[in-house]
Amino acid sequence: MNDPYKVLGVSPSASDEEIRKAYKELVKKYHPDQYQDNPLADVAAEKMSEINAAFDEIMEQRRGGSGSSYSYGGNSGGSYNYGGGSSSSYNSIQVRQLIQSGSVTQAEQILNSVPNGSRDAEWYFLMGSVCYKRGWLNDAYVHFQRAYQMNPSNPEYGQALNQMNRQRNGYMNGNPVRSGTDSDMNTACNCCSNLICADCCCECMGGDLIPCC
Amino acid sequence: MFGYVRAYKPYMRVFEYDIYKAVYCGLCKDMGRRYGFFTRFTLSYDFAFLSLVDLSVRNCMLDAEMQRCAAHPFTKSMCATCKNDLSYSSAAAVILTYHKLKDDAADKGLKGRLLAAAALPFFRKPYREAADEYPELAPKIERAMILQNKIESDKTAGIDLACEPTAMMMTAVFGGLTEEPRQKELLERFGYLLGRYIYITDALDDLRDDYRERSYNPLLNAFDVPYGKEKIPKDKLKQIRRYARDSVNFTLGSLADVYVKLDFKRYRDILDNIIYLGLKNTFNSVMSGKFKNKDKRGNHIYE
Repeated sequence: MNDPYKVLGVSPSASDEEIRKAYKELVKKYHPDQYQDNPLADVAAEKMSEINAAFDEIMEQRRGGSGSSYSYGGNSGGSYNYGGGSSSSYNSIQVRQLIQSGSVTQAEQILNSVPNGSRDAEWYFLMGSVCYKRGWLNDAYVHFQRAYQMNPSNPEYGQALNQMNRQRNGYMNGNPVRSGTDSDMNTACNCCSNLICADCCCECMGGDLIPCC
Repeated sequence: MFGYVRAYKPYMRVFEYDIYKAVYCGLCKDMGRRYGFFTRFTLSYDFAFLSLVDLSVRNCMLDAEMQRCAAHPFTKSMCATCKNDLSYSSAAAVILTYHKLKDDAADKGLKGRLLAAAALPFFRKPYREAADEYPELAPKIERAMILQNKIESDKTAGIDLACEPTAMMMTAVFGGLTEEPRQKELLERFGYLLGRYIYITDALDDLRDDYRERSYNPLLNAFDVPYGKEKIPKDKLKQIRRYARDSVNFTLGSLADVYVKLDFKRYRDILDNIIYLGLKNTFNSVMSGKFKNKDKRGNHIYE
């Protein structure tokens, strides 16, 4: 597939907002509604699906944990190809591919067939990804935790756990109200105290910002 | 199970609130027209949310006019007209309410049982009609209800598994909004996570009642709380509340991920309000124990 950033016409360093904007522009341009009864309709439809795919891919990549926990290429999986050394018999790359393609049940079957004694960090991570994909988030968290405990040096496990920890603390992706309802109430207080501070500073220097205090 | 999905009113603009209400009114009237006057009494704001998502998915502009209704005979209010076609939400409301009533009639406390038994006969015919109209939806809900009963009788301890039936129901409901495969997949996950949120919140809301009546509650089971005492032991209660909060936060975090991908255009601000503020606010008021006494229909809901 083409470079998704090229498809959207943005640089890889662009912010999420810029990408969303570029995406929206392109959607507007190629939306099938505009090509009704037009010989170019097919081309536009194809372009549209390309744009959608590119946008999804970028958003997936950027979201880190949630997306990337099941969208790896094989590069990192290579070092986890078991068989040598440990007695476990599952193929981690295969499981990853299964999870990525959505065959969660199959992946789970393979993982469940691994005996309890030979379950390593990778196993817990993969099981966590399976749970996450199914929406069994509490189990996913427990598994990611376990994977991270067993192998804290693996960035993937750390990232997955981090992502869930952020959610656990109430992070919601795309939240337009930045600091939530309770802390927003404080802005008026902050404003007043800031003014009083500024007043004090002015008074030190001999001036006065708020004459009455 | 109903009443947990709604907007946080203080953060709504006036026109947004008007639209939200108009959709609710329109839905109520639509239900009355299709399934008889009685079904209207059971409508909650959750289904207004479903309608909004439905309208947004179909990219449909709201057609509303000032109308009177039986509940407010002297004042006219904004009301979505039948041009909007809210039939899917009405059918979903009837199907879900019927199953909820059936469930209540089987295992709620005495008062709940009587109420449910009294309401149930009014729902049999509407249920059949709705199920005929959407033949895919009703069997999925039935299957989920069977699983629900099994989980309750097995006294399952895992929260994730206990959430499954409600999540499955919502998966079916939201998945039915579109046929386009990519969007359907997203909407299904969206429904799944919303169902999870609803179930956990409901379980927390019912915690005390269930403890008193010694009935199944996944949160009590997960922490092995011994029945029999006057009140839930303090340390256990603290653990349960933290666990429920974490679970809901996980769920809402993932819900937001899908919601961003769905990228709704129409009614965006109202949907944003419900997803990012309303759900959390409802959960917080359940946490503080203030939710139970509030009017579940949607007024006076905010702190």
